[in-house]
Amino acid sequence: MICRGHITAFCRRCTLPHLKTRFPQIWQPPHRFVNDADSNIMADEVEQQPPTNTVEEPLDLIRLSLDERIYVKMRNDRELRGRLHAYDQHLNMILGDVEETVTTVEIDEETYEELYKSTKRNIPMLFVRGDGVVLVAPPLRVG
Amino acid sequence: MATMVNSIRERTIAENSMVILLQGLQGEVTTVDLKNESTARGRVVSVDAFMNIRLEDVLYRDRRGQLTQLQDLFITGRNVRYVHIPDHRDIMKTIEGQLAKIHRVRNFGGEGGGRKEFAKKSKSDFPKKYQSVSSPPLQTALPNSFYSPRG
Repeated sequence: MICRGHITAFCRRCTLPHLKTRFPQIWQPPHRFVNDADSNIMADEVEQQPPTNTVEEPLDLIRLSLDERIYVKMRNDRELRGRLHAYDQHLNMILGDVEETVTTVEIDEETYEELYKSTKRNIPMLFVRGDGVVLVAPPLRVG
Repeated sequence: MATMVNSIRERTIAENSMVILLQGLQGEVTTVDLKNESTARGRVVSVDAFMNIRLEDVLYRDRRGQLTQLQDLFITGRNVRYVHIPDHRDIMKTIEGQLAKIHRVRNFGGEGGGRKEFAKKSKSDFPKKYQSVSSPPLQTALPNSFYSPRG
């Protein structure tokens, strides 16, 4: 099984070997469509995909929030507020100066009313695994 | 320092995600928060591309707060919620150091002989921009799947 990609040995997304790895004889470099119409494909020292400034996909919106304070809602009623230092396609994130809020609901035995409690803690630098992330947003403005 | 993973696939997966930062923390004492609300504090022995973490000299605190001392603990990647990063580690330098290690392994064996990760017909056939793979860049350029502030 191969993946129709190019540069790396294995595809980043499907982790299958690329055509280039499996059948190097029939592989041909793909056509490169560079962003500006002026520079031709033979431009020297062009890196794989130069980081573009246009917003093309939802992950690019997160790129706009780099080095800014963000609000992250996570699974199990957790919220994080911190400065986004880095992220990847899985939404694994590095957050600095982060405050984690865990919200729990306690139900009063007699009156059956719900009491919402939140526990906070501060962590200087945190690596967050992406599969726990639900949403990423700018910090909520109060009022 | 810890040895490099041997699998090309794992190297590629690690190179293109933030797991590489965790791999750079090998030897550090960190706290790992698990999805089951327990925490494990110990020295990181190794982290693989799937975020499976091996710790040693671990203080394991379960969700009730009960402490257990463990010599060796293996945590499956899917069970990790947070990894606390020690203050004294510079993130960019750690990542760049790990990437440099990967590039060094990739280029090991010299230009002429030795096993290469990408089989090349000959150097002259390929346009210049693909040849940059064989010579490691002097300033480490993060793969474009990394999004982090420059400078």
